[in-house]
Amino acid sequence: MIRRLLSYLNKGEELLLVALLLLLMIIVAAQIIMRNLMGSGLIWADGLTRTLVLWLGLLGAMVATRDNNHINIDILSRFLPAKTKTVVSGLTLLFTSGICAVTCYYACYFVALEYHFQTPAFDQVPAWLCEMIIPLAFGVMGLRCLLLAALALTGRNLPTPPPATYGRDQ
Amino acid sequence: MTTLLLSAALILLALFGTPLFAIILAVASLGFYHSGIELTVIASEIYRLADTPMLSALPLFTAAGYILAESQAANRLVRLADSILGWLPGGLAVVAFAACALFTAFTGASGVTIVALGALLMPALIKAGYNEKFSLGLVTTSGSLGLLLPPSLPLILYGIVAQQMASGADISIDKLFIAGIAPGLLMVVLLSLWSVSASPARARTRQPFSAARALEACRAAIWEIPLPFFLMIGIYSGYFAISEAAAIVALYVLLVEVFIYREISLSQLPAILREAVVMVGGILLILAASLALTNYLIDADVPTRLFTTIQAHISSRLTFLIILNIILLALGAILDIFSAIVIMVPLLLPIADSYGIDPIHLGIIFLANMQIGYLTPPVGMNLFIASYRFHKPITTVYLATLPFMLILLAALLIITYVPQLSLFLVR
Repeated sequence: MIRRLLSYLNKGEELLLVALLLLLMIIVAAQIIMRNLMGSGLIWADGLTRTLVLWLGLLGAMVATRDNNHINIDILSRFLPAKTKTVVSGLTLLFTSGICAVTCYYACYFVALEYHFQTPAFDQVPAWLCEMIIPLAFGVMGLRCLLLAALALTGRNLPTPPPATYGRDQ
Repeated sequence: MTTLLLSAALILLALFGTPLFAIILAVASLGFYHSGIELTVIASEIYRLADTPMLSALPLFTAAGYILAESQAANRLVRLADSILGWLPGGLAVVAFAACALFTAFTGASGVTIVALGALLMPALIKAGYNEKFSLGLVTTSGSLGLLLPPSLPLILYGIVAQQMASGADISIDKLFIAGIAPGLLMVVLLSLWSVSASPARARTRQPFSAARALEACRAAIWEIPLPFFLMIGIYSGYFAISEAAAIVALYVLLVEVFIYREISLSQLPAILREAVVMVGGILLILAASLALTNYLIDADVPTRLFTTIQAHISSRLTFLIILNIILLALGAILDIFSAIVIMVPLLLPIADSYGIDPIHLGIIFLANMQIGYLTPPVGMNLFIASYRFHKPITTVYLATLPFMLILLAALLIITYVPQLSLFLVR
């Protein structure tokens, strides 16, 4: 039941991600056409595009956390024996989860402040609405890291980032 | 003492594979906490992602690149390059470099080139008479060739980060695009010259130029050939800005590959776009964290102090450049190019500026160093991708790539010490 719910949430997350990317392409393209052909544009387009980039970035980062697929340095752990390596990644994930939690907490506070002052972002859209993704993303990333850390520290295997799929064997 | 202990712990965590964004956020949070600044500042710095011009170019160009990489564009590009350049002595090596450079410029240097083009070029090179070691080295090197050519993502990211700094105010991405062309071509030419001279006699037999073959290859790639041209014409004629060009390119590539070539089905598309956004997400997250860190560093006067220390020891511009190269090469060997840009550029820019180094030239030097970093043992990314893709031990790849890396180092020296090469079209 919970598993099914989670998989729906994952699907929804991906769907939103792809939809926002397509929306970004279309808005920017429409903007160029309108400006060059009709000499006018959509006033809110610029604000929306920039907000979309923030959302895309953080949603992408959320999905990356699922497979523990973040940019890292990782020079030393390749020399560790498999078991120690899993424990060490558990610890790094625990640390990451903690940082995400702290960031999430202060981001909530930040959004609350912006709500209180009703800061506008663009056009009629309030800033807190655009900023909601920040606490959300760090909250989800923190939970996911915690989950992965629990997996690793109880000796189970972590999901490995999918290998680069691009360019099928030709 | 506590500071020292904390730094050591963070460095250890980083080296054991903690996501870089977490490390950077930790440093920034500790810093702000230490100076008694409310940590909500971190969230407001992350929100600056929505306030950074040009940033939309990143997800859009990445999406275009991932779609291209998934289609048969690589195949068509190699055929086209071969039909046009194949008559040269040692032509196939030249074809390989040219095709890879163009492909990398469009797809970003994330290893796609080695996977997509390498699979075509490796067997072709061996068949043409090059030995395996040479071919392996060539393909591995080509994976990051083209970083300096527009519209490569690292060039764009450098421009975005530099624009955030006061001293980088006059850096526009379209100038960076132009500045990278000559240095990028220099790398291609030097590598080609060396490959031709090092190629075995058999590989030097020329294949005659055939107009029919060239025409055929052109016809096959007819929808993709206009891409670089309308990108450049669009940007430099002022019809659209770079971020807009990115949207047009992404939309165009999507329509062409899905509906005209029909090599990507609509059902595959979401997965490809998802991969693209996940990659960009990783970069943007690090960028956001670095914006916070940079804010703290400036607040704590770190760049100024760093600058005074460096000035006390290094007086000449030349010495500075030499040391800069050494540091960047070392950095490029352990850090990926995107993290290196967002972390280092804010610190380097003001210092380089005071030594009279043009910020655009600095960008080209920076990326040229990072490009070599992709090939530097022990952890250069291209080495691993090539080893994985071609099922060769990593040490074999190290040795095969070494001569090519030396050529690139020579190119780097020219790029660093002849600023005119980067600047003659811009300033």
